[in-house]
Amino acid sequence: MNEKRIVEALSIHANGLIGRSKATQQINLTNAERNQLTPLFQLAERLQQNVQPVQPSTAFVRSLGQELVDSARRQIALTKRLRRAVLIGAAAIGSLLSIASLVGAIVFVIVRWRERAQARAAQAPTG
Amino acid sequence: MHKESDSALIARAKEDPETFGLLYKRYVGRIYNYIYYRTGNHHDAEDLTARTFYKALKHFPRYVDKGAPFSAYLYRIAHNIVANWHRDTGRRQIVSFDNLSITMPRQQEPTAVAERKDEREQLLQAVRRLPLERQQLLILKLVEQMSNAEIAEVMGRTEGAIKSLYHRTLVALRGELTSEDGNERKIR
Repeated sequence: MNEKRIVEALSIHANGLIGRSKATQQINLTNAERNQLTPLFQLAERLQQNVQPVQPSTAFVRSLGQELVDSARRQIALTKRLRRAVLIGAAAIGSLLSIASLVGAIVFVIVRWRERAQARAAQAPTG
Repeated sequence: MHKESDSALIARAKEDPETFGLLYKRYVGRIYNYIYYRTGNHHDAEDLTARTFYKALKHFPRYVDKGAPFSAYLYRIAHNIVANWHRDTGRRQIVSFDNLSITMPRQQEPTAVAERKDEREQLLQAVRRLPLERQQLLILKLVEQMSNAEIAEVMGRTEGAIKSLYHRTLVALRGELTSEDGNERKIR
């Protein structure tokens, strides 16, 4: 017997059990297949009847919901503060780097200017 | 009223805490149900449900919406939390009978009720003996009533693999029940 057909038939049956069957989903079973599948169909039906959904208590849902919203509020506020701190830090580092490069450029120009002046002084005729 | 999509809620929840509350309300029942059937009692189900949502919230800023249902993300967290809980406590998975009596038809004879309860107990005990992933599949399929595609998303498998696993699970469960019947007859 083709296992693929068995697997497909069980899947279609399960979808029917949970109200998800589609009109296009249908499989014509041979007698042998039906004999093999009937106990599995029955077992799935028994299972489905015996595992009933449960609901959490309203008080639990309400109190956990409130705690989560409060926690989410704190988390979002913390994230915003962190983001702002990172932004300010990056801006400060950027400013420091700009100032440092400016100072460096000025020092470089002064050093070059002095070197040239010294070179010119050395080349000038004495006496 | 038009129900806002998960993607829209996720995008808003990154900035608005109340919206995370809406996501929570949308899924708390399903996650609780899932955990309840894997722990076996309401007390632990409440505790682990709370841990699941706190963990989801903690990692939420890094959550990237790739179009998969948000429930898949929550079920994966819940699955890991329940697995850790079982490892830490060393407990076997229990399926509770706490509220089965509520679902019993009222006008049945006491003996018929007792027989049905025995039958349920036998069935659910056989489920407990299955490997964890097979129990998970049965809960997602028959309690949560999820499609194969949704289960595949949660369990990180293909749809075809889920169908095959469902087949193997039913065959194994039938084997469990048959061997149990055989053992009972031998004892008698």
